[in-house]
Amino acid sequence: MTDRRRNLAVLLLVGLMLVGSVVAIAAKTTRLGLDLKGGVELVYQAKATKFSAVTADAVNRSIEIMRKRVDALGVAEPEIQRSGADQISVSLPDVKNAAQAAAQVGTTAQLFFYDWEKNVLGPDCKPAPTNFSVTGGPSAGSAGALSQYDALARARRCPPVTTGIQSATQTKYYLVDTRTKKVLAGPEDKPSDLKGAAGATANGPIQVWKVNPGTVVVQAESPSTSTSSDKTAKKGPDAYYVLRDDFALRGTDITNPEQNFDQNTQAPNVTFDFTSSGRKKWQQTTQQIAQRGSNFVATSDGQVVSNAQQKFQHFAIVLDNQLISVPYIDYQQNPNGIDGANGSEISGGFTIGSAQALANQLKYGALPVNLELISQSQVSATLGKEALHQGLIAGIVGFAIVAIFLLVFYRLLGVIAVGALVVYAIYLFALIKLIPITLTLPGIAGLILTVGVAADANIVIFERVKEEIRAGRSVPAGIAAGYRKGLAAIIDANVVTFMVAFILFVLSTAGVKGFAFVLGIGTLVSLFTAILLTQAVLGTMARSSLITHPAALGFRKGRKMPWEGFDFMGASKWFFSFSGVILLIGALAIGGKGLKFGIDFESGTRVRAELVKPADENGIRKAIASTPAGGAAEVQRITDKSLGSNAFQISTAELKPSQVSEVTQALQSSYGIKGQPDTQSIGPTFGNTVAKGAVIAVIVSLLVISAYIALRFEWKYAVPVVIALAHDLLITAGVYSLTGREVTTSTIAALLTILGYSLYDTIIVFDRVRENVPRMPRAAFSQIVNRSMTEVVTRSLATSFSTALPILALLLFGGQTLKDFAFALLVGTVSGAYSSIFIASPVLTHWKEREPVYERRSARIRREFGGLVPAYAGSTAGEPTDVAPSESKARPSIFAPDDPSKGVSRTEFDSMVEDLHADAPRRGTATREHEPEPEPDPTADLTPEDLVIKDPKRRDKPKRPRNSRHGRPR
Amino acid sequence: MGALAWIMMGIALWHFTIWLPDRFWSGIVGAFVGAVVGAFLFGFLVNGFVIPGRGDTHLLTALEGAPGAVLGMAVVWLEGVRREGAQRATPRPARPAR
Repeated sequence: MTDRRRNLAVLLLVGLMLVGSVVAIAAKTTRLGLDLKGGVELVYQAKATKFSAVTADAVNRSIEIMRKRVDALGVAEPEIQRSGADQISVSLPDVKNAAQAAAQVGTTAQLFFYDWEKNVLGPDCKPAPTNFSVTGGPSAGSAGALSQYDALARARRCPPVTTGIQSATQTKYYLVDTRTKKVLAGPEDKPSDLKGAAGATANGPIQVWKVNPGTVVVQAESPSTSTSSDKTAKKGPDAYYVLRDDFALRGTDITNPEQNFDQNTQAPNVTFDFTSSGRKKWQQTTQQIAQRGSNFVATSDGQVVSNAQQKFQHFAIVLDNQLISVPYIDYQQNPNGIDGANGSEISGGFTIGSAQALANQLKYGALPVNLELISQSQVSATLGKEALHQGLIAGIVGFAIVAIFLLVFYRLLGVIAVGALVVYAIYLFALIKLIPITLTLPGIAGLILTVGVAADANIVIFERVKEEIRAGRSVPAGIAAGYRKGLAAIIDANVVTFMVAFILFVLSTAGVKGFAFVLGIGTLVSLFTAILLTQAVLGTMARSSLITHPAALGFRKGRKMPWEGFDFMGASKWFFSFSGVILLIGALAIGGKGLKFGIDFESGTRVRAELVKPADENGIRKAIASTPAGGAAEVQRITDKSLGSNAFQISTAELKPSQVSEVTQALQSSYGIKGQPDTQSIGPTFGNTVAKGAVIAVIVSLLVISAYIALRFEWKYAVPVVIALAHDLLITAGVYSLTGREVTTSTIAALLTILGYSLYDTIIVFDRVRENVPRMPRAAFSQIVNRSMTEVVTRSLATSFSTALPILALLLFGGQTLKDFAFALLVGTVSGAYSSIFIASPVLTHWKEREPVYERRSARIRREFGGLVPAYAGSTAGEPTDVAPSESKARPSIFAPDDPSKGVSRTEFDSMVEDLHADAPRRGTATREHEPEPEPDPTADLTPEDLVIKDPKRRDKPKRPRNSRHGRPR
Repeated sequence: MGALAWIMMGIALWHFTIWLPDRFWSGIVGAFVGAVVGAFLFGFLVNGFVIPGRGDTHLLTALEGAPGAVLGMAVVWLEGVRREGAQRATPRPARPAR
């Protein structure tokens, strides 16, 4: 296929895909994340039960059950997904009550039926069926209960019982304050899971208490179980019983649970049937209870019981360690127990909603594992809409300024690049709708950033095209050579960006995943549009008069860049010192001020709300003093455009969803809240997961990047890259410490993105060093690097600038989240551009110059130039030869054959040799001048072939015997 | 956080080795490793083999990384000088006659 046909085919393909994309954009709706449309997000961590370990299957089954529960709630477009090995993330758009949602979706729903009197334990850890002060007597389930502290004090004395009973419990741990007699945290499976357990001692006021298997502490019936959230959110009285965990039936023994109405009282209840085995167990248990009641003649104080009500014995229905109901068995009506043929019912204090919720939970079954709510956040729809608006503005502005930059800098090439960017944006948006990708605020940031990535690829190629034209090629030949030579650097840089996005996607939390996904997809799409599309357009236009004039490409004759001839390696000492000083300040700041971590890492609860009535910090503190937030809460006025001027943020220790509701209700009653407040609660487990994921992501990224660079270049190129990346990360950390900005998950995502971007510049520089090494077979390594820097510093600066532009748009026009993100990116991008030139390259130079071949070259050059190694390679008799030639020069330098397939022509070879030996030094670099010179060696330089980074495939190729007769008959 | 401060201090000081003649063992990269490892080990040692957490990290913690970094780089330098000397003392093998 000819080039012309190939270009037309590409353009046709692009056109067809464009039409398809426009149709997809018009037909499909965009799926917005919770941060853009409002709703509740809950993150649970699965914990093992006695019946099931936390396996992939158990987590998946839990997700299925949760999905059914969510469907029963009637939530549109919910998202329930596994996150990591043992976490489940639930996104519920448009849901406004986080507490209620958590109660209905994440409740384990472990249902057990107990023979009450037989299992309630007294002070001596033994059942006391006749002791009303233990069982509650006729008021079983509410009377005779203990405070949670006292119940635990009793339960911890009970020995472990693991045989002879049907038990569901494992060892549990609680954190208690023995001075205030309060339970601070628990139950947990391990002491280390208890929040604040670090300060606990065996005999101190804060202690960890252990409850052995076979004993369970259950909360008494709530006196007013009127709402579903009360019933299931474990908000109830401080009244508890200690039970021997020997259940008679469990949730799997019942079928067909339904919300119904009591035939006598018309009160809502939950009816259900039994399975065949459940029916037998039910009859046996109720028969035992009835017989015990009929035998019951006196209370423990010896008084004869004459009231039949007092003889009635009970069974208890316990859901997730809370008593739902404790009905009695009338031994006179049911002396042989109750036949379960007609099923049974749970009644008492239900509303229709709470009865429906319980029926649904029982219907879909108990979750196979316990779920602990480790993070919950609620975003109001208004704020979400505002965030979306800000993100779109930032996107449009970012796109516009990148387009202006390209047009001004590259003229006609810029027009083509902007066209490619538009096509890229349409493709990406269509893909977002088609896949579909849930667009979140970090996702929008990713979208805007990929505009920079796409522009970078164009810049790399256009600069290369200009360079080729400057070197004397015609415009069509320059375009062809520019694409051919620029491709390797672009692919390397984009592969690294894609790998970082992939690592980020695998290891990060849900919010950042959106960013990583968009970044990854965008990088791939940008490769297509920035390379294939622009090449096809330029190839088609190559002979047109529009493009044949160099000025149309932003190419000006005689223009010299200020850094041409600059001794980068010589100056690197000063830049190294500058970096050293900055890092020194950063280290002192990290030591003195530390880093301010957000609640993503620290755990805690944050409530942000715009208030109706004017308020101040003290007033709010007073208003919430009686809530679980208490007086220790940190209250601050915040200035956020989306929240208005009378907005406040309350930060406190982690609160449960119901406790968060108490805080917002207190605010509502004192000052009134405009719309819905934004709330976020992060547990320590989630914070640890985030922190661990971040550290692993950074380490894995560095390793993968190093491996890739070692593979594509040489392992010695990988080490300076890692040092430069460490430099960028530490500088960003130092700036965060100095400015006191909060480090959030977004910051970590930004840091990882910085790794990718910093590398983009470094790869561009190293790629040119790699290219120049075989071309300069007699030059010192510092001269090769200086030469390479001169050639690529324009494009390195231009790519950094084009990346910084959309980031700047995010910083100026994005909402608070995007601003945090953009700040880290901006610092990292600037530092990345700087480190590529002034850290990575000098380190590489210093290291490579220790290699014997370069040592010998340096020694030779120093001998020739009076002890100095000139900044640029040259002969002893003229101007430097390896600095890009001026436009007035009659003969252009040639670096590569016009047509590589035909090899180097004689004329080209002579021209290259002339270039290498013609001129004199311009400026000296006193490198290693104090060192003794190595002895002269006749084998001082290797041949150019020896210096080329070898292609392993070629190396192993067997030598073919030389055929000097070229087919002539012998 | 303490480890971050030490390592940052080590890397900061490493930047100034650019002014020294390159006689480090493995060159500037060897000096880098020496600075980082030295800073960490020294900080770890003076803190009783404990890495200070966020609450325990102070200005002094960062400074604790400095002596270790200098020591680490000095060790790498001395080893480099020793190896150079040893290399010079080894006679160059004679080239075979052709």
